[in-house]
Amino acid sequence: MNDDKVLSRFFHQEGAHTLSAYLKHEGYQGAEKALKEMTREDILGQVKAANLRGRGGAGFPAGVKWGFVPQEGDKPKYLCVNADEGEPGTFKDRYIMTFAPHLLLEGIVITCFCVGIHTAYIYIRGEYEHVARRLEDAIAEARAHGYLGENIFESGFGLEVHVHRGAGAYICGEETALLESLEGKRGNPRLKPPFPASIGLFQCPTVINNVETIANIPHIIHQGADWFCGLGLPKDGGTRLFGVSGKVKKPGVYELPVGTNLKELIFTHAGGMLEGRTLKAVIPGGMSAPILTADEIDIAMDCDALVEAGSMLGSGAVIVLDDEASMLEVLRIVTDFYSHESCGQCTPCRVGNPWIRKMVHRMAQGKGRPDDVENIGRLASNILGKTLCPLGDAAAMPILSITKKFKEELEASLAG
Amino acid sequence: MSAEFSEQTKKTIAEIVARYPEKEAALLPVLHVAQKEFGHISPEAEKTVAAALDLSPVQVHEVVSFYTMYNRREMGKYHIQVCANLSCSLMGAGSLIEYLGERLGIRPGEVTSDGKFTFSLVQCLGACELAPCMMVNFDYHGRLDKDKVDQILDNLD
Amino acid sequence: MVKIKINDKELQATEGMTVFQAAQEADIPIPHFCYHPAFIPEGTCRMCLVEIEGMPKLELACSTQVREGMKISTHSDRVKEARRGVLEFLLAEHPLDCPICDQAGECKLQDYYEEYGLYENRFVETKDKHEKKIGLGKTLIHDQERCVLCRRCVRFLREITKTGEMGVFERGGHTEVNIYLGRTIDHNYSGNLAQICPVGAITDRDFRFKTRSWFLEEGKSVCQLCSRGCAISVDSHRGFSRFELPQRVYRIRARHNPHVNGDWICDIGRYGYAYLDADRCRAIKPPSGQEFGWDESIVWLKDKIRRLKDRDQTERIGVVLNSGLTNEELFLAKKIFRDDLGAGQVFFSDPPSGEGDDLLLTAERSPNRRGAEEIGWDIKPVDLEALSRNAGLLIIFGPYFESSHDRSGISSCLEAIETKVLLTPTSGVLDEMMDMVLPTVYWAEKAGSSTNIDGIVQSFQPALPPLGEGRAEWRLLSDLGRELDLNYRYYQSFSSPENIFRAMTGEIPFFEKNGE
Repeated sequence: MNDDKVLSRFFHQEGAHTLSAYLKHEGYQGAEKALKEMTREDILGQVKAANLRGRGGAGFPAGVKWGFVPQEGDKPKYLCVNADEGEPGTFKDRYIMTFAPHLLLEGIVITCFCVGIHTAYIYIRGEYEHVARRLEDAIAEARAHGYLGENIFESGFGLEVHVHRGAGAYICGEETALLESLEGKRGNPRLKPPFPASIGLFQCPTVINNVETIANIPHIIHQGADWFCGLGLPKDGGTRLFGVSGKVKKPGVYELPVGTNLKELIFTHAGGMLEGRTLKAVIPGGMSAPILTADEIDIAMDCDALVEAGSMLGSGAVIVLDDEASMLEVLRIVTDFYSHESCGQCTPCRVGNPWIRKMVHRMAQGKGRPDDVENIGRLASNILGKTLCPLGDAAAMPILSITKKFKEELEASLAG
Repeated sequence: MSAEFSEQTKKTIAEIVARYPEKEAALLPVLHVAQKEFGHISPEAEKTVAAALDLSPVQVHEVVSFYTMYNRREMGKYHIQVCANLSCSLMGAGSLIEYLGERLGIRPGEVTSDGKFTFSLVQCLGACELAPCMMVNFDYHGRLDKDKVDQILDNLD
Repeated sequence: MVKIKINDKELQATEGMTVFQAAQEADIPIPHFCYHPAFIPEGTCRMCLVEIEGMPKLELACSTQVREGMKISTHSDRVKEARRGVLEFLLAEHPLDCPICDQAGECKLQDYYEEYGLYENRFVETKDKHEKKIGLGKTLIHDQERCVLCRRCVRFLREITKTGEMGVFERGGHTEVNIYLGRTIDHNYSGNLAQICPVGAITDRDFRFKTRSWFLEEGKSVCQLCSRGCAISVDSHRGFSRFELPQRVYRIRARHNPHVNGDWICDIGRYGYAYLDADRCRAIKPPSGQEFGWDESIVWLKDKIRRLKDRDQTERIGVVLNSGLTNEELFLAKKIFRDDLGAGQVFFSDPPSGEGDDLLLTAERSPNRRGAEEIGWDIKPVDLEALSRNAGLLIIFGPYFESSHDRSGISSCLEAIETKVLLTPTSGVLDEMMDMVLPTVYWAEKAGSSTNIDGIVQSFQPALPPLGEGRAEWRLLSDLGRELDLNYRYYQSFSSPENIFRAMTGEIPFFEKNGE
């Protein structure tokens, strides 16, 4: 069993998603151990010791987040599993939910037992309709066999899991916008503080974690925190599902230790560049991560190393751009995306993104002005750090990195 | 032109509402149900949904107009949604979009005159390893080229 | 209490307060659009960002709570840059409507640009076009191009009137506020929306294009159209030397009073100001053949009263008061007519009751009924028969007597009375039947106090000067009290409403306890 394919062992295998297939490979044994042999403190201690960092984008340590939830008080607590997967370049959670839904459910059981939660919602993006059906089928299977519902493993612990489909809004991947959307409202992020751990879903203490984060929990419990942490780096344990797309020979999901070299990921695992193409730039963690030039890709794929390099690991979604890519076109796609997805609540994002978008489109039509690139940078700086939620930063950072690192190419495309 | 839920749908809605401590939380799932039943979300459909959940039409419309997947106009039988985001664009989505426009004879957002197809540009579908890709209703199709697109469209009746 | 520092100024702030509130208390201005004291902070306009020592990003003043030792700067370079950035965004798509926009002169965008902006415009794109004249209901017009999406309007309708006519629709740069499916705003609080809109996105047809805000002078007063006594601002135009204006008052606005009306007034109070300028009684109508000023009028009235008093016939004095008189006036009236003279018939003639609502408007439409009761008046409606039977002198206060009964009844009643005096702010049908008509003034034109339905006593100063020879009733009664010479020393001190009120607190426990 001690394999370093923690999550992806059964990807692409037909029938792997069924309960019977899952049970053949120690399925739900982590949950059984947690509910029958461990205390809540034990479990929390293990998750903290595993140094499991959030796999959704922010990289916040999961154990620390769970620890923020107050145990006193009589308000019910909730778990929201963030399956919104909207960060461009990201598709890993789709694989987990498609091929290993029970792994996710088992992780949910252990998480909820640890924090004292009896209702969990999987917030899944609306486009993943078939994936949602698969989750619902898995939940029905799990309930029928007593892995969900009342009195799981005769421990007295009860848990219901519901699937809640979104309806087309990237912003609902932001945790407080997700809560608003789950409550039946527009996906407008909330002010923090208060934090969801104390005032979250329906004003109750809430944990929000990404699918991949939760999917790691069963193995952490079953095989131990030390084993898990040892797969990765001391401060950033385990493996990650890196999603590689763009101009590579073998785009797909690759489960590799945290800290794997980006160059290795692209050239050894993803097969390197398509025939005849040379690498020009890489976005290492989903579109919101600042872009890396060709000579910046010799870097470890872990949260801290990428932050030090001025970028971020984010969702681990690697987009590989080649020599044919026009950075002006890339900028257009980026600004189109954030303008489309801005919720519209706060001034800098609501006005700044469409303004920059208008400028880029004008440049793309050959009507650029000499100070356009500089102005775009200035406007993006007026968004960065000034918005209500991280989407503003998620927009500003790629715009700033592209306009800075590819300034010459962009300015060459200006009129006259 | 009122929009009334069938008895079966009312049961489904009751089941959905039971999942949440507050009725309003059922709004997004119930709107998906309503769209399935009525084809698209008209003001009448909004009123019906509002009544079912003790909300006002304003509240329902606030949500309908925020999320892209709720269609406020009648759609074609098949909604072809092509991703125009980064990985797909790198892998040739641009020319596919042009081709689709020519083959269907409509621009993004429009419906073909026989009511069969609507064609839209969408943001990242979460299938970048299959770029360029498109979603027809809820079916994903990836690693597309002109021939594959033709094949897929030809098989839709 | 916590000790904090704002811009090197040491302050004591209450725990739980926000930085914004603490700054406000210390008179340190922080620019803002979406913040409003009546609503929970939303933090979306981003204009109130301030720098707090130890915090890496700029933080919102409106939603950040003060903590012991917090050091805040509201004018560091970072803060100034952030403000300029927000302004630049808000003004980027904003239409250049100032020359035709009612908000000009009291517009937050203008004010803040002058104070915190003054940058070179760099928006060279084509501005988005939106609807500019949406009828929201009643007199409200919505211009979506001017809107800064502070959403105060939506929050007001959701949290205050709980009617929810407006919503926020679409997303991103297409976001807009609007009514929906033709359901317009038709309740009694619509006018507050135009007042809370920080820009010219919601304007009022009642005020549209009539004047400019910088011509208006603000006067503080209390509304007298129902028993709530909402605090109001009366905005009047002093007029031009070259030509007269058709009206003085152009607008009534809600004024903040946390004990009575919060930040709101109803539409009846807001739009019903025509009475201040229309059909006013401006001149003394003396007994025929005479030329009277105020002094002569008082003396004449005094003589009429003394004649009956000296013959022990004060039961033949009839007085019609109204519950729109101020506390001071009702007090003086009681002292003179009841206590000193023992007038035979004292009645009250008031506007008819209407429908109240569960917010501010009371069914009782006379504004000082509670005051009259606390002063000790037994409020009896006019009995014409009793009046005409015995009255030798009738003194009528206010314009309501003429509608208290039918014309013929009133005529025959008046015919039976020897001497009739009317003190009124407005011209009316009874004027010609009176021996003397004296012009008085409304609350907006006098000083005094009133007692609202909940027993809250409010004092006010004149918001407008009187028209023509118009004079407040308290002054008239105070002069009359001295002239009658029944208790000269007592009335001598009543040279101001403040002095009168002081006497009231000494004599009536209610006013001692509830005096403002």
